[in-house]
Amino acid sequence: MAYQPKPPEGWLKTNFKYYKHSGSWAWILHRITGLGLTAYIYIHIYALTSLTQGPKAFDDEMKIFSSPIFRVLEWLLFSLVLYHAFNGVRIVLVDWANGARYHKQILTVVYSLGVILFIGMGVLMLTHGPAIVPSGK
Amino acid sequence: MYKHEGSRGSGAPGWVLQRITGLLLVVVVIAHFFVMHGNYSSGHTYAAVLARMHDPFWKMFDLTFITVGLWHGLNGTWGIFRDYKMKPALSLTIFGVIILSGVAFWVLGVNTILSF
Repeated sequence: MAYQPKPPEGWLKTNFKYYKHSGSWAWILHRITGLGLTAYIYIHIYALTSLTQGPKAFDDEMKIFSSPIFRVLEWLLFSLVLYHAFNGVRIVLVDWANGARYHKQILTVVYSLGVILFIGMGVLMLTHGPAIVPSGK
Repeated sequence: MYKHEGSRGSGAPGWVLQRITGLLLVVVVIAHFFVMHGNYSSGHTYAAVLARMHDPFWKMFDLTFITVGLWHGLNGTWGIFRDYKMKPALSLTIFGVIILSGVAFWVLGVNTILSF
């Protein structure tokens, strides 16, 4: 019998219907966090151009970034950094070492280390930042 | 028979470099975050930032950081797009946007670093 190609289906359908293991989620998260971080580099580079406009421009900008909402966003940004960094190491171990044998155990380490450093950074930001005052004061 | 199945190259150099720059960035980005984003007095005041910006070590550090970081991010972005079958015109447009915006923001960042 001749080969019968399956009817074409949408990109979304193909991507959402197959069962996802922990590794597929790791892969999806790696791409989403990667795109997010790349977008953030652009914002970061643009934001820091205020350094060339003297102390007032920079300090005024930093005042905005020190408001509670931006500090929480900054903290959440660190979760993207941690996940992408540690899962990146996991990818290198799978590619270049014998990581494929242990990739699920390594993933547990990725998530655990990430959560620990994320909480650690939260403590650091709270204790080494200016007192949180509602913006506008 | 067909060495790379119709592609211009195997893609291996980019793949290897993505891993090497990635390993470098793991250390550098996490350190950067603890110094610049975790500590208000070292990261958010003009005086503290300028003191670092005048130091040749940090200047080299920042130049390397921005180059490696942008390249890793944009090579990864292109890698994601390359996974999907696109019409040549769309593919070329996306590639062009990635290259042009990457170069523009690299120049913008390097200009900030070299202003001091």
